[in-house]
Amino acid sequence: MIPLIIYLTIGALLFLALLYVVARSSNGERAGNDPLREARQAVQTLESGLLPRELIGRIFAREDFDYVASCGSEEICRTFLRERQRVARSWVGMIEKQIGSLRRFHRVVARQHSGLSMRTEAGLAFDFAALLLACRALRVLLYVRGPLAAPRAVGATVAVATRICEASKQSMAFLNPASIAAMGTGPGGAPVL
Amino acid sequence: MTWRTKRENVERAAEDLRRRTLSEIPRSLDRLIYLASMRDYNTGLYCHDGLAERFSQEAACEALADCHREAFRELLGTPLEELVAQIEAYVRATRTSPFDFITAWKKLEPYRVAVPVQTDSLSSEFLFSNFKVALAILEARLRPGQPAAAA
Repeated sequence: MIPLIIYLTIGALLFLALLYVVARSSNGERAGNDPLREARQAVQTLESGLLPRELIGRIFAREDFDYVASCGSEEICRTFLRERQRVARSWVGMIEKQIGSLRRFHRVVARQHSGLSMRTEAGLAFDFAALLLACRALRVLLYVRGPLAAPRAVGATVAVATRICEASKQSMAFLNPASIAAMGTGPGGAPVL
Repeated sequence: MTWRTKRENVERAAEDLRRRTLSEIPRSLDRLIYLASMRDYNTGLYCHDGLAERFSQEAACEALADCHREAFRELLGTPLEELVAQIEAYVRATRTSPFDFITAWKKLEPYRVAVPVQTDSLSSEFLFSNFKVALAILEARLRPGQPAAAA
């Protein structure tokens, strides 16, 4: 009886391990399709929605606070700072999300398919780490000192994010049609790109 | 019609709209509201009979959408002080009681439906947040005994 139980347990464990391997490989296949599309979308979102100087300048504008302060109401000042902090934190969160997509892209696709040199890849890895660290530091700064206290940290975050965008675009440009076809095609045989 | 010809037609229509209509509306807030009102909320398409007659339905629709995005961007870049002044001027133009206006705008937030389609969420969030603060400033001005905010 005991050997039978042992065999059944081993069989069940092997079956679960097989299920795990199958699930992981199908996830991997999906990831092979999505990161490229996600990365293109991330670059577009970053360039058009999150990094334009005018918008960043407006969100962290000191002149707006000076105007609100001149109104002489503490309640309005508090409302203003709370609102700006909310928008600023939302901005940091969106940057982190898009940079996460680009990092996935570089992990899954670019290393295998692009013609980037090791040096560029290393620089990019450093930039990713620096940016995610900067985002976390910025979150803390925004929380502790308010939305108007970190213009340099904001500037640095924008600069690194812009660099990552440029490098990602470069990686995407290196992808040749054969590697794109290998990664999968969209409906009607159209390339995913 | 090629894409280039279509685009040229849209640009001509937009120029016509700017010259004939939008030049008469000096404030970007008023332009934003006017252009949003040209949009059918069921389809998301813009309608302007005069413009469609001179150009085409499609060109008129795209020209209105272009100008709407332009007005939105302009308002987004407007400092808070200027936004307060624009809302104040808009209240005067509508001849509504300022108190009723502020109450309705705080409650209904009609500016939320005035943003162009495909506006990124951060930009709209930022504009809505500015509206919220601007309305608070205007409301404070109406309360007796409040310090007079820069008028």
